[in-house]
Amino acid sequence: MTADDSELKELRASVREFMEAKSPEEAVRKLMESEPHFDTEVWAQAADQLRLPGLAIPEEYGGDGFGLVELGVVLEEMGRALFCAPFFATVLLAAQALLASGDKEACARHLPGIAAGRTTATLAVAEDNGSWDPALITVRALPDGNGGWRLKGRKCFVIDGTTADLVLVVARTVAGPSLFAVDRSATGLSAEPLETLDATRAMARLTFDSVSATLVGADGAGGRIMARVLDIASVGLAAEQAGGARRCLETSAEYARVRHQFGRPIGSFQAVKHKCADMLVQVELAEASAREAARLATEDAPDFPVAAAVAHACCSRAYMVAAMENIHVHGGIGFTWEHPAHLYFRRAKSSQLLFGGPAVYHERLLDRLGI
Amino acid sequence: MEPDDMQDFAAEARRFLDAHAAKAPDRTAVTWGEGDDSMAYFSSLPPEEEAEQVRRAREWQRIRHGHGFGWITGPPEYGGRGLTAVHDLLYDAVESEYDVPDTGVLGVVGLGMIGPTILAHAQPHIKDRWLPAMYRGDAIACQLFSEPGAGSDLASVATRAVREGEDWVLNGQKVWTSVAHHSEIGLALTRTNPGAPKHRGITAFLVPMDAPGVEVRPLRQMTGGADFNEVFLTDVRVPDDHRLGEVDGGWTVALTTLMNERNTVGSEGAGPVAAALSPDHLSALMRATWTWDDRALRGRLAELLVDAMATGYLNDRARRTLRAGIAPGPERSVAKLMYGQNLTRAAHFVSECLGPRIIADTGRWGTYAWSELLLATPALRILGGTEEIMKNILAERVLGLPKEPVTTMAKEVRS
Repeated sequence: MTADDSELKELRASVREFMEAKSPEEAVRKLMESEPHFDTEVWAQAADQLRLPGLAIPEEYGGDGFGLVELGVVLEEMGRALFCAPFFATVLLAAQALLASGDKEACARHLPGIAAGRTTATLAVAEDNGSWDPALITVRALPDGNGGWRLKGRKCFVIDGTTADLVLVVARTVAGPSLFAVDRSATGLSAEPLETLDATRAMARLTFDSVSATLVGADGAGGRIMARVLDIASVGLAAEQAGGARRCLETSAEYARVRHQFGRPIGSFQAVKHKCADMLVQVELAEASAREAARLATEDAPDFPVAAAVAHACCSRAYMVAAMENIHVHGGIGFTWEHPAHLYFRRAKSSQLLFGGPAVYHERLLDRLGI
Repeated sequence: MEPDDMQDFAAEARRFLDAHAAKAPDRTAVTWGEGDDSMAYFSSLPPEEEAEQVRRAREWQRIRHGHGFGWITGPPEYGGRGLTAVHDLLYDAVESEYDVPDTGVLGVVGLGMIGPTILAHAQPHIKDRWLPAMYRGDAIACQLFSEPGAGSDLASVATRAVREGEDWVLNGQKVWTSVAHHSEIGLALTRTNPGAPKHRGITAFLVPMDAPGVEVRPLRQMTGGADFNEVFLTDVRVPDDHRLGEVDGGWTVALTTLMNERNTVGSEGAGPVAAALSPDHLSALMRATWTWDDRALRGRLAELLVDAMATGYLNDRARRTLRAGIAPGPERSVAKLMYGQNLTRAAHFVSECLGPRIIADTGRWGTYAWSELLLATPALRILGGTEEIMKNILAERVLGLPKEPVTTMAKEVRS
């Protein structure tokens, strides 16, 4: 299903209104220092009132059947507000991994709960070195002799890893990297919260000590599944980044209009004006690349993987530039804990490096272009 | 999906082009060492070849006009088709699939910027005289705006126009005037009231370029070619009916031209320089120069491609917005700024791959030819408004930042 322009506008307006009410700066600051890092009541409202978790889940699994374009609008708004919620891990990582696996039984078991907002989930891929490349993982899965599997090893940088009800894990079998589902309460699974650069996105280290797991999709299909999930997730992340970058630009422009120094608004100085124009250029490119990639995804266009790589690189840089310059435009006040600029800086840097960083995604782009 | 009438229009354009032109080869595909390796952004042709190119441009415009595609958005009473900007874009998209003569000499300044200005501001009989001729390819127009003392600060023009009976007498010097040496008419900004504040003392005239006292001297640019000129106006008599707009009201006229300039300049060309931003071409170049495995260069190539492709997405979005009947936002200005930067970065990236091979011509294909683009890049940050001017426009008009206050000293200097 695809929403038309006016429906997208409506969606954006209702999500923005929700964010303004439920995720103002005070709420973000309170949540990033509490455990869990999100408000379960607000999460339930996002599911019940706005049906956000199920937006892009197919109707047969209890969702509304929209795609990445609509999801992008929601993520831009969440990115603007630094919304603390298990949305990214649950909807973009876990749900998309289930869908990419093609495992109808697993989808039927887990997706309706996710769509309804009752189940939160995450995807554990990276280990201590932070790489998302399935070829580099060491967590192993062994058959338990009864048709099930047991996981052994350690995952790191797992988003919402201490709170997710369902953990999807990429582990190695004889056939290669494969996807497994693990219940949060499974025996032998321990989760340890990590201190994070971006406190609005919780991360954990998970240790699997012979944990009972269910294979999702074909044995050895983990590489293919991950390629698809990373494309979708990086476009979702790109939307979030574009939203955050836009917010930084708006904050800077507003400040440059009203803040006076040397007897005039600082925005009238060409040096400041051009900084803001440079930010605008980055933000425009970011939005265009994120939205275009999302559009190509829904059309199932063959150049979607290229566009996804472009969006990931472009939005990572744009957000970083906007978040840095935002602090600079604000001067000394921008460097204080009280000012929200550092929250965006932290989110921007953390998002830029989440899936491996520029060197990794630049090579991914070149690879997709056959270079 | 295009609405029906759009599909009909596109089909009509295809029929016309099929009958008059060949399909264009894919300019981004590359077989190393084969074909034309020119990377010229500005022409550096010998005069006789350039004259031949201008002749072919006029001829193609005449054919195009004869079949209803010469002035798609123009009013029918002046030979236009009376259709929308969307039709215009659609025709451009279809025509780009064909190998047709480059009509930039007519189009970029004359048809893109001065035509709409004449339409908006000239007297009816002047429109009758010049508009059909321009869009038929008979009259090329140039923009007599910039002066040695008035580049980006256009309102500082000093060329004088003094009224004598039914005529005006023009004296002064214009500069950086593209295609003046091929032009039949020029749109001149002149100072008619030195006592008024600088924006309010300007008047615009249409100057026949064969009028006595008009002297065009080619100006050689750093690429070696001579695309633009100095134009000296010495006691040039222009009848009052060639005035556009009110006396001392020329700034309004200039704004019409400049508004159209932003719609014209900086759109991505499909000419030889398209190769500079083509992944296939750049990767072939890395193979040919044995820089394939250089990690630093690979990283820079990726960044370059990210920018080039994101700029393309921005243009796509602007076109889609326009097609939906909504005026685009700042996308075009951002894309113009990025296009110049992308080409500049590509030229410098390539020169690092080539190393010494771009500083002396060994005769080898695809190496020294890039020096043509390299030398053109500084101009990309100046033409159509310097980067600084473009950024001011974005910051002030899109972000609403305040203008730079005019200091007392600047006021004194200007008055």
